Amino acid sequence: MANVQLRQVVKRFGDTEVIHGIDLEIRSGEFVVFVGPSGCGKSTLLRMIAGLETTTSGDIEIGETRVNDAPPRARDIAMVFQDYALYPHKSVFENMAFGLRLRKTSEDEIKRRVGDAAAILRIEHLLDRKPRQLSGGQRQRVAMGRAIVRDPKAFLFDEPLSNLDAQLRNEMRTEIKKLHLRLGKTIIYVTHDQVEAMTLADRIAVLSGGKVIQYDTPDEIYNRPAAKFVAGFTGSPAMNFASAEISSDGTSAVVGNVTVTLPESLRTASAAYRGKTVVLGIRPEDISVDRSAGVDCTLVPARVVVTEPLGAETLVTLSIGGAELVARARPDVSLHAGDSVQAQLASAKLHLFDVQSGVAIR
Amino acid sequence: MAAPLASPTLIDRLRDPSEKTLGVMLLAPAALLLLMIVVYPIGKLFYNSFFDMRLSGGQGSKFIGLQNYADMMKDTGFWDATLNTVIITAVTVPGALLVGLGLALLANLPFKRQWPVRLALLLPWALPLAFAGLIWAWFFHTEYGFINDVWARMGGEPRMWLLSPVSAFTAICLAIIWKASSFMALVLLAGLQMIPKSLYEAAEVDGASKWQQFTQITLPMLMPSIMVALIFRTITALQTFDIPYTMTKGGPGNATETLAMYIHKTTIDYLDVGYGSTLAVGMFVLSLLLTAVYLRHISKQDSA
Repeated sequence: MANVQLRQVVKRFGDTEVIHGIDLEIRSGEFVVFVGPSGCGKSTLLRMIAGLETTTSGDIEIGETRVNDAPPRARDIAMVFQDYALYPHKSVFENMAFGLRLRKTSEDEIKRRVGDAAAILRIEHLLDRKPRQLSGGQRQRVAMGRAIVRDPKAFLFDEPLSNLDAQLRNEMRTEIKKLHLRLGKTIIYVTHDQVEAMTLADRIAVLSGGKVIQYDTPDEIYNRPAAKFVAGFTGSPAMNFASAEISSDGTSAVVGNVTVTLPESLRTASAAYRGKTVVLGIRPEDISVDRSAGVDCTLVPARVVVTEPLGAETLVTLSIGGAELVARARPDVSLHAGDSVQAQLASAKLHLFDVQSGVAIR
Repeated sequence: MAAPLASPTLIDRLRDPSEKTLGVMLLAPAALLLLMIVVYPIGKLFYNSFFDMRLSGGQGSKFIGLQNYADMMKDTGFWDATLNTVIITAVTVPGALLVGLGLALLANLPFKRQWPVRLALLLPWALPLAFAGLIWAWFFHTEYGFINDVWARMGGEPRMWLLSPVSAFTAICLAIIWKASSFMALVLLAGLQMIPKSLYEAAEVDGASKWQQFTQITLPMLMPSIMVALIFRTITALQTFDIPYTMTKGGPGNATETLAMYIHKTTIDYLDVGYGSTLAVGMFVLSLLLTAVYLRHISKQDSA
């Protein structure tokens, strides 16, 4: 088990720089998720840690050892690939034993370790099969088993669940979380799925355009996004954004003809934006149309545009001051398109972002 | 009163065929063609092998039962030619496989431009066999040959390569390996490109060296392609004709005469169609046996 340290890590393919000087510290035993849209550099960064891509400049350390020039096999890491990369001609047992055989582990030790890993992953009955005889979920388990038996310093997961169907994905997500609790190993996990990131991670690194936009706990990422990009990436449905103008006294934001009072916490920062346009952000659960007015709420007039019943809840799209915002409501809410309602915006949950840079104003 | 249903005539059945009849009708042309160009000649070959059919004498054909087969068993010319063919097969098939594998691995390297490499691989394969034979005959030519030129520059006496049994045989094998390895390489290159890159990455992370990756990933994953290439190559090697024919005409003496050449000589030069057919049946059986061995091996692997 070891920590992983990235210092000013840069990756260039020819003239194109894809990773722009990233600094990250992954603590020993921590579960860190790299999340971001495709092309943000998250997989490249993981492959650089694995040693499958060279590092143009900067340092990568695994367990206090600089590994920039070490080949993957010398880094003592295990990786689970998106397509599983199981050896098709080897049995499940041999797939899992391969790394141990290459390290000249004794036959008894191999049997014991493969047996243990198979028991953890509940694939003992599959050990004699070939990968092609397995289902997607079973292959996924074997790929994880191959990583577990090695007992490496760190596990690297490259979008391991993206080839599974939705139900299986949820199941395996829980399995991976349980596995981390049980093994307590350092895990670096790449995904484009914000739900996976939120549910699995101790800390999330949100990447965009080859840079880390925010590196924080899921709670901070969700509740205190450092940028509009982060705010828009997390949550389903994502945070609502509306163009707003800060009033001349800096205490409220005006969306169309609707005035929203800003909380005390934002007023110092918003003062610099008096009379200027900003992006106002609020999550769907912080807009209410079906509860009695809370203490810290701004009541604003709204018109229902459309309702989407999801069973456990209903999403209500509202027009507020000309902007369309989605609100989460109880499943039994009786609203129809065209209805006029009073919407309550939770003031403390308002976010402001700079229009140009997208950086949070706070 | 309704008229009784007349039983359908043949015309009716053809006009509105059942699925089975339709299937037979659709398959008939292809089946007929196969009968004409595959089954009939092979059948005729077997039939002829039971006759004394010497076209040179003008005495017509005479049924002699298994006499031709008895003659074949005692014919040293047949056994010499068979031995030559087997040696050529045993040398050139593994030879072409090794060279072809090397070429395929080279061609699979990440070159900036792929087409010159592919073209270089394709050229020997696209060349007619007889051309290849002529090219190599010139290479080994005593007075003008490239080989003797190099040999002389290294201080050797010019040699008559194609006129001594061992060196002529070696020269022929070299020419066949050169010609055949490009086909091998093409088949194996296709196989190599089917192997997912992530397997090598997984093996790399698992701790495999380049050589271990080759023996543990590349070779086993390439096995099906290797088997296919071997089957094709073996069958064509058993039929070797053009290259020795153009390089040595079977000489010196009969030292490089293959079975196909012996059959050709018997049938075309000596006009002994009956005995020639018998020899051809012998070659047919030999090919069948070797193919059966490969196919058994493949089906065993599939079920494993």
